[in-house]
Amino acid sequence: MAVYIEGVGLTKVGRHYSLSIKDLAAQTAFNAIEQVGGPEGIDYLIFSSALAPLQDNQLDIAGYVSSYIGLRGIRALNVEAGEASGLAAIAIAKSLLESHQADKVLVIGAEKLTEYVSSKAYKQLQMLYDSDLRSFYNIGFAGDAALLMRLYMNTYNVDRETLSYWPALMHSNAKENPYAMLRFAIKPDKVSKSQILADPITLLDAYPIGDGAAAVVVSSKDVVKTPLVKVTAIESSTGLGGIELLDDPLIFDSLLSAYRKLSSIADISQIDFMEIHDSFTIVAPIILESIGLAERGKAPELIAEGHFSLNGDKPLINPSGGLKARGHPIGATGVYQVAESALQISGEFPGIKVDNAKRGLVISLNGLGSNSYVALLEGV
Amino acid sequence: MHGPKAGIHGWGAYIPIYRLPLSEIAKVWGWSPEQYESLDVVEKAVASSDEDSVTMAYEAASNAIKRAGIDPKKIGAIFFGTESKPYAVKPSATIIGEALGITPYTMASDMEFACRAGSEGLRSLIGMVDSGLVEFGLAIGSDTAQANPGDVLEFTAASGAAAFVIGPSENASAIVEDSVTFVTDTPDFWRRATQPYPLHGEGFTGEPAYFYHIENAVRALLEKTGLKPGDFDYAIFHQPNGKFPVKVGKGLGFTIDQMKDGLVTPMIGNTYNASALMGLAKVLDKARPGEKILLAPFGSGAGSDAYYIRVTDSIEERKALAPSVGDYLDRKVLIDYGMYSKARSIMHVIK
Amino acid sequence: MAMDLSISRFWRKKVSVYRLYGSRCKACGKVHYPPKKACPYCGSRDLELIELPKRGKLLSYTTIYAVPEGARPKSPVYFGLIDLGITKVVAELTDVADKNSLKEGIEVEAVLRRTREDRDSGLIYYLLKFRPVMVHR
Repeated sequence: MAVYIEGVGLTKVGRHYSLSIKDLAAQTAFNAIEQVGGPEGIDYLIFSSALAPLQDNQLDIAGYVSSYIGLRGIRALNVEAGEASGLAAIAIAKSLLESHQADKVLVIGAEKLTEYVSSKAYKQLQMLYDSDLRSFYNIGFAGDAALLMRLYMNTYNVDRETLSYWPALMHSNAKENPYAMLRFAIKPDKVSKSQILADPITLLDAYPIGDGAAAVVVSSKDVVKTPLVKVTAIESSTGLGGIELLDDPLIFDSLLSAYRKLSSIADISQIDFMEIHDSFTIVAPIILESIGLAERGKAPELIAEGHFSLNGDKPLINPSGGLKARGHPIGATGVYQVAESALQISGEFPGIKVDNAKRGLVISLNGLGSNSYVALLEGV
Repeated sequence: MHGPKAGIHGWGAYIPIYRLPLSEIAKVWGWSPEQYESLDVVEKAVASSDEDSVTMAYEAASNAIKRAGIDPKKIGAIFFGTESKPYAVKPSATIIGEALGITPYTMASDMEFACRAGSEGLRSLIGMVDSGLVEFGLAIGSDTAQANPGDVLEFTAASGAAAFVIGPSENASAIVEDSVTFVTDTPDFWRRATQPYPLHGEGFTGEPAYFYHIENAVRALLEKTGLKPGDFDYAIFHQPNGKFPVKVGKGLGFTIDQMKDGLVTPMIGNTYNASALMGLAKVLDKARPGEKILLAPFGSGAGSDAYYIRVTDSIEERKALAPSVGDYLDRKVLIDYGMYSKARSIMHVIK
Repeated sequence: MAMDLSISRFWRKKVSVYRLYGSRCKACGKVHYPPKKACPYCGSRDLELIELPKRGKLLSYTTIYAVPEGARPKSPVYFGLIDLGITKVVAELTDVADKNSLKEGIEVEAVLRRTREDRDSGLIYYLLKFRPVMVHR
């Protein structure tokens, strides 16, 4: 059963030193609420933040934000699934609407990553990976993706410079997106020469550390008045989540499983664009290959040849600039992806526009796939 | 009268990969080359920033257990001799025992007697094994030797470990036939609990401390056993530098030929508790059945042990079961004073 | 007292992390590390603890400069994916004197090393890391 997005609020991802997580949440929530004509009828707040307890020293962030933004009394809950929190929050909102527990749900994804120095953020972001062993080591946030990147390059004999076309493409898209953190173009050859974070991952291969918030109002069929887009279906799956556990680490097992589930309940053949979870350069081709958009080991070459870009064939991937260049405020990211996709389909996205965009796919995952979410959005 | 006897079933050593040429230290502190050349040491072994006396002990002991070929659970006592304990309070021996699979039915303690704590463990185990209190015991000497930067001690203070599985005389690789310990109150070298580096009485560490105690321990052993220096194939002494062991050995009537195989300090510096014991490990790597070894560790404060060790037939089959001291000596990477400062936390880094 | 490191969380895992104890599933035969309460592959709870080989082949590796707080004195951190034959593990790598010596397929062996240390209290985590194997004559 489809649900409808009828209000959207977005903040530019960046270092918002003057704003708290609650301020960022308020800013975007007010925009979304205004678009649906006020808070009346909103009967549930689903919040999405992974790091609020660590960055903001706040538990029950949903409860405290409710009164901070004038919604005291509303039912409220925070949803946490690491980097996949935002799309998980949309999935929960959809379930509440479908089960008639609510008619109009405000979903806010908000995250601060800059309240402390970067080394503390690296330690917190290390928690996205299995803590059973990794919490005893000093791996930081990029170690696992670095192992994966080298494994990919060696297995498929893909060189570093070919992979660099992805961040360049994302920067080029983000340049047009007013909500993006990194709004400047880069040449592919600049990527490998930037600061090394975890060899072979450089600064330009990794998502930037930035704050952000996005909000959407999701309504049931019964109450929706001015729908931008409908959320036709969302599926998810858990996976092994560790590069060492997967027999084949170059396919995200949870994403493959979630994607198969989605294709069994919805027609996902004619997709105009996708917003995918490109936290690091290497994650993008593996996602594209996991869902069959490219042959294994061939995605980087296709990207370098201009596929998936504005001038390529559909689907266009990440018109927003993706996690790589729009930014990746962890728990907020999935809500950004959905909000931007809603605007893209309704023709109101203020960045790169996909011609005649009717159907969009959103993919979000945590780490290297402990959890994967896939959502189909369609025009109304 | 003969003392109790026990056997060395397994022996093992560990030397970290990094070596600091002494010329690097001289360069930083403005010493002339003559200052360190007289020590007869070329390079010193430096433990990495993720190593300490426990991690080095783990590897040396793991090598010793491999050679002994016993189930670690059969070890009933772990004596860890060091003057660079990671924890001032909290036994290091339990960490080593747990990591090696020896715990929980075992004695475990950290010994302190400057550089001869590991040897005290060795001698204690001889009695404990002979009495039947334990079947096997593990004696370890391990140090990330500290020295005040700029002190002459910095030239030689090095990192390394040696370990021995002690058990019954039957099936042992070598038998400790007899031993003597000689100690007095002699404050030649010390470190108070809150001080990061040990300090010393300079020339006082020589005659009244090192030479007096080793000479007396060795003479007492010779007298007790009726053996003469010439009866031994090898003589191994504590090695604070390259000069002292040769001098004390010659004074006691031993020849360079008897001493050369047990010398490790000239190559890697003074590994404190592992110093003489690593010399023993190196000699066992080479020794033939029937050969006789004299071992005399020394610790400041001060005391010396003297052991008469006889090699048995079963030594040959044990040699190849773990890396030799020579393997570790060959595995080396030269570093400069900057890397050494980082590895040994001499530079203060805010974490 | 400010203390960042957990005492009990490490203590509970000590046998597994000191001695490389993994789990073998008696139903499907697959091995995983560190041990879970059910087989992550087939879901069976019929598992047995086994000591994993302490020697393997390096499948992938990285030199990490973006280190988490607390790790500055040990920076850079080397991290690798290791094939132990019966299963794969990730671990920090050590004794990497020259990072160019890290190559796919090189043999590595487990050694006990310090990983994390509590800033104020000084508590130490000892863990197995892997180093390029020693040449053993």
